[in-house]
Amino acid sequence: MRRREFLAASGIGLWPVRPAAFAAQSSPAPDAFRAVGSRVRVTGMKVFGVSLTPDSDRPYVFVKLETNQGVVGWGEATLEGKAGAALACLEDFREFIIGADPMQVEHHWQSMYVHSFYRAGPVMGSAISGIDQAMWDIRGKVLGLPVYQLLGGPFDPRGVRGYYHADSEDRDELLRLRQTALREGISCFKSGLPEYYEWIGTRAKIERAVRHIQGLREGLGPDIDIAVDFHAKTSPSVATIICKEVEPVNLLFIEEPCPPENVKAMARIARRTTVPIATGERLIAPYGCRELIEMGAIDILQTDINHVGGITALWKVAAMADASGISMAPHACEGPIGGMATLHVDAAMPNFLVQEICSGVQPGMKEKVWEEWFGFPAMRMVDGRFPLPEKPGLGFELSEASLKKFPFGGTRPMARVFHEDGSVAEW
Amino acid sequence: MADLDITTLDTWMLREPTSRRGYCVLRLKTKSGLAGFGECGEVSVAEIEAAKRVVTGRAATSYEAVRIQLSGAPRAQAGINMATLDLVGKFTKAPVYHVLGGPTRHRVRALASLDGAADEDLVASLKARHSAGFRAFAVPLPPVSARNQGQAFAEAVSRRFDKLRAVAGDADFVLSGAISLTPGDAGRLAAAIERLHLQWFDEPCPLSNLSAVRKITDESATPLGFGRHIEQSGEVQDALREEVVDILRPDLARHGISQIRRMAALAETYYVAVAPHHEGGPIGTVAALHLAASLPNFFMQHIPIPSAEADRRMRAELTGGSVETVKDGFVALPTGPGLGIAVDEKALDKYKERA
Repeated sequence: MRRREFLAASGIGLWPVRPAAFAAQSSPAPDAFRAVGSRVRVTGMKVFGVSLTPDSDRPYVFVKLETNQGVVGWGEATLEGKAGAALACLEDFREFIIGADPMQVEHHWQSMYVHSFYRAGPVMGSAISGIDQAMWDIRGKVLGLPVYQLLGGPFDPRGVRGYYHADSEDRDELLRLRQTALREGISCFKSGLPEYYEWIGTRAKIERAVRHIQGLREGLGPDIDIAVDFHAKTSPSVATIICKEVEPVNLLFIEEPCPPENVKAMARIARRTTVPIATGERLIAPYGCRELIEMGAIDILQTDINHVGGITALWKVAAMADASGISMAPHACEGPIGGMATLHVDAAMPNFLVQEICSGVQPGMKEKVWEEWFGFPAMRMVDGRFPLPEKPGLGFELSEASLKKFPFGGTRPMARVFHEDGSVAEW
Repeated sequence: MADLDITTLDTWMLREPTSRRGYCVLRLKTKSGLAGFGECGEVSVAEIEAAKRVVTGRAATSYEAVRIQLSGAPRAQAGINMATLDLVGKFTKAPVYHVLGGPTRHRVRALASLDGAADEDLVASLKARHSAGFRAFAVPLPPVSARNQGQAFAEAVSRRFDKLRAVAGDADFVLSGAISLTPGDAGRLAAAIERLHLQWFDEPCPLSNLSAVRKITDESATPLGFGRHIEQSGEVQDALREEVVDILRPDLARHGISQIRRMAALAETYYVAVAPHHEGGPIGTVAALHLAASLPNFFMQHIPIPSAEADRRMRAELTGGSVETVKDGFVALPTGPGLGIAVDEKALDKYKERA
């Protein structure tokens, strides 16, 4: 009797049986999947903290998985303001990953999530995201297809529609932006709100916010889609007042009109206005999105592939949202690996709307570094769309040496802002 | 990826000689000469023609984009979805469950229906299915003669399970309601049989008015299975939100692999497992095994093995040897590329009723 059969016959042939009250099986699990798995095994995991500038609040956290077949996979676990925690959490998963068959990415996702006992918040969600993306990269390379084809895409072979950020309030600058957009085929921009808001707004601030949004429409014109990120700077009361005022502007969406913890509060805002509501960048795992989707209140979900749980989780969340007619506009404001990973999932979503990248029309230092790393202008649009990678896996090569120019500058907090009276403000 | 461009769609409408169960086998061929197979329920010639117009020239890898465009061919959609995934698997030289991120399990728990209406017939069927390797069995309700069943009905149900348990102490049971009760009757019966610890009470009433169905779950701890008539994911979401379903039973022949994966994603966040409904042929069974090995929240697969030897022989011939063999209550996963079976086209022609 082979070992696997013996274990199956004795009823302990399942993956590690180690609840405290029962006989602990302390050795790694028997290879129950030997007959049905692949020959690929993860043999090494390397993690990288990469600070583009020494004081960056979001050093990129990259993870590289190596295999016994020579194929490597890259993923991103960047967590804004908490780089050290994300790096440490990746290390905590080392035992889960070494020896794993990356074909079974769903199985390992479940193991990382369930066997961590404490359910994933942003730190664990980001670590799972990085490992999940790296496994999908390996899967695609081993199977010889880009990840979006493994997922059944593309829905649109021209690429993934995206938007850049437009933070100007200046009319002439917005008019110039419009000309550039029309010339380059860019169909959408996102802007923010100009100030910080307390949970009840002063009249002057509310009027400046409304004027800012109206000004965006006047400058960018009627045929460019405009989204406005409230960034949870507003309370439900303040957000609703602004939303009602800007209904005639017909925005593509407003984003995070209140903080994410209270789903009923978010739903209340959505019920009181016709402005499409987008939210979700801070939600972790499909479980974290259930209530919001179930309420049927919001219009657009924005989960982030570097936090929600990678490709596996973003795909599931999109499927869940689709059942409620909710569109997907995934958040991306970290590094380029997550950015490119999210394009693959976007391309396989029937309910995809638009993809973020925190860049402007003019490429800056960040975009130049990305191009150096990958040898192509990663996350830059052509005719208003991010082109789909054609190579297997996530579709890029990355050398460790190229990252060395940007050593880890340590964890830096995100912006800390305060109201006029010194109290803590959301930014 | 022009190699995987679909050039032809062919179909075989098959019927089992004894049971008269019918199902349709679909074959997609690509420019490069690969053949992918799938299965769906009985489907009209007009629908197949509509499906051909959608799939011809499309890459098998864009199976989700193709699926969405088959709304004019809702039955064929399921089979085309399986066939496109079979092609992707064959092209990548990997089982479909590898393509989809599995395996999440290395064998698949199986469920068999018991044949017969009277207790004695069910006991005989149980003995036969048990020795064929099954350990879980779907059992019909005793005849429902009127509304508002009384104590005699509840006792008849209990007695039935006593007799069955007497011959197979290690067996688990599902009570098949066959949509024959009112929610009120189903609630009372579900409460009365709570302590039989059945795996679940399947489709006791129509899944239409959800607040009426909710009476059953409010009144008992007996798990409920629903879903075989569900068409859209939104209906799954409603049932989950109203807390009326403990095990989701979407129909394989109606949805195929991808659509059930999407429904399963919804169910997962409600801690609800999936046991796809399957009353079709052996290619469908194989597709169900790949689906099971791709889901984290799969529980059990109904294997519709016919009681007549002639029907069983036909099923084995179609797939070049039976893939529906059960051992200790589980079916083994196929391991070859794609669906992992060698469909015998001569057998398809032999049993073909029409195209």
